Amino acid sequence: MKTLGILLAFLKRDLLVEASYRTSFVLQFTGIIMSVLIWRFVSLVMKAPADTPGLEGMDYFAYVLLGLSFFHFLSSALASFSQKIRQEQMTGTLEAILVTPTSPGTVVLGSALWEFVMASVKVAIYLAVGWGFGVAIRFENLPLCLVVLAITVLAFSGIGILSAAFIFYLKRGDPITYFVSSASVLLGGVFYPPQDMWPWLETLSRFLPVTYALHAWRHALLKGATFRDLLPDIAALLVFVAILLPIGALAFRFAIRKARQEGSLVQY
Amino acid sequence: MATAAAPEASRASASPALRLTGVGKTYIKRRSLLEMALHPWRRAERVEGLVDVDLEVPRGMLYGLLGPNGAGKTTLLKILACLILPTQGKAEVEGRDVATEDQEVRRVIGFVTSDERSFYWRVSGEDNLMFFARLYGLSAAEARRRTRDLLAAMELEEVAKRQFMSYSSGMKQRLAICRALLHDPPVLCLDEPTRSLDPIAAKHLRQFIRQSLHRERGKTILLATHNLQEAEDLCQRLAVLHRGRVLREGALHEIAARLPGREQYLIEVQGVAALPNDPRWSLDPEPPRDGLVRLAAAVDRGGRPFSDLLQALLAGGGTIVACTRREPGLQEVFDQMEREGVR
Repeated sequence: MKTLGILLAFLKRDLLVEASYRTSFVLQFTGIIMSVLIWRFVSLVMKAPADTPGLEGMDYFAYVLLGLSFFHFLSSALASFSQKIRQEQMTGTLEAILVTPTSPGTVVLGSALWEFVMASVKVAIYLAVGWGFGVAIRFENLPLCLVVLAITVLAFSGIGILSAAFIFYLKRGDPITYFVSSASVLLGGVFYPPQDMWPWLETLSRFLPVTYALHAWRHALLKGATFRDLLPDIAALLVFVAILLPIGALAFRFAIRKARQEGSLVQY
Repeated sequence: MATAAAPEASRASASPALRLTGVGKTYIKRRSLLEMALHPWRRAERVEGLVDVDLEVPRGMLYGLLGPNGAGKTTLLKILACLILPTQGKAEVEGRDVATEDQEVRRVIGFVTSDERSFYWRVSGEDNLMFFARLYGLSAAEARRRTRDLLAAMELEEVAKRQFMSYSSGMKQRLAICRALLHDPPVLCLDEPTRSLDPIAAKHLRQFIRQSLHRERGKTILLATHNLQEAEDLCQRLAVLHRGRVLREGALHEIAARLPGREQYLIEVQGVAALPNDPRWSLDPEPPRDGLVRLAAAVDRGGRPFSDLLQALLAGGGTIVACTRREPGLQEVFDQMEREGVR
């Protein structure tokens, strides 16, 4: 209960800070509409046939819209773990936070929470705008999508916490977010199906959680897949959770201890 | 539950507020990539932040850490605030070890940094405090009440709703103290609290530290400063740090008494014909007024030379009108240490 109160305090703090930059707050939403428009016109030019391998009968605009929205969610949420900590280091507030009895783990989660909420709002806008352009979204499958999303968030949180550990220790040059984000865009099926790449790249894509998450997300929202249909994807995502979360947590504890030993915990 | 709480309470009450035993901190300088490529086997440079520090601060004491920049004051405070781990030794706050019981230590210590950046500038002072109050584990209602009370105590009520960035340096510093008091800790660490304040604001803050925090609230306060006057005015005991070592420890008069050199006296003598000469003292007279001479006397320690000086003045026909021993200020203590070659 106390932890929930602390997480809500982080959320309120970020709302107050973000709302104080009014123009930027509004602009980030208009950016979504621009992005959807751009991909609408790209898809009109491309006219990818629905039987293209990997599209599995989906319209390309619908395919890329779902890819964009979901990836936007994951990338901003993933980056938020390390970026927020970095920001707190730079602004000097991290020291004041770390002298409180709140655990560093809660601090990292709390710091990332605002981005998760904002990313969810943005996904809703993506879907609403796409629906406005005629994309047939199976809204009745939203609960199933939320389950997929929750498991994916856990898997990506492991990566996010790992990247926060790098920031605590190295301050700059977090390689985790960079590599995972780049590899996800290139290989994970955000803009094109992994089946349309070279076969060895497609094999590599299977080592990324985003590949399974996007597959499940699209099939649930565009093709009305059931929980049973999505079980292979969900199982794969759970394996990622089981591996990545403990690694993230261990690396984080190590980084905090190391930074305290070196006296660099609040340096930037 | 009660049986577990009892030894915990007795442990806390039996121990001093702060205890450092053989605390050392060695920093390892990070090497550049070029350096590592050129000299891969060379050992990274070590910098001694603190060396074998032993300190004990009783409960309710206003204790000063005095030293020039780089003396190790902030390192010591950060060890106590659990931001840095000591390389050697043990540091305890209210009987709790900073290395192994850091969560408990954070509940009993308040840390005031002189860094103005430690707040959210675009958020109001009140909302800043509310946020940190939740991090200290206060419920929403408690946080609100405590924030309101502290803002009133620090005379910040009128500006509570204003963005932090519009505050003056004095207000920012007072808000930092509010934050450190949110969870009502028994121990406060103040890191150069008056550093960026003008003389008037600094004077008010010193009064507040002495009167409100120390006398009325009974806090144990560890105050790091390089301001000699501030340490002299506020602190009951002092540790003088230099290059990570404690050079002197005690009340100012104890520190001064342990210094080699002479005791200082102000003597007023009426009608003395000639000042006595002796290698054991030196006399610096002011021009006489109506036969009254004021002497600044520097006399060898030990009591005997001073008695002999007084006898010599009396023997010279003088009447001693007044005599006061003058305690050296911290500046003189520092000057003396410099002459000793310890700085």
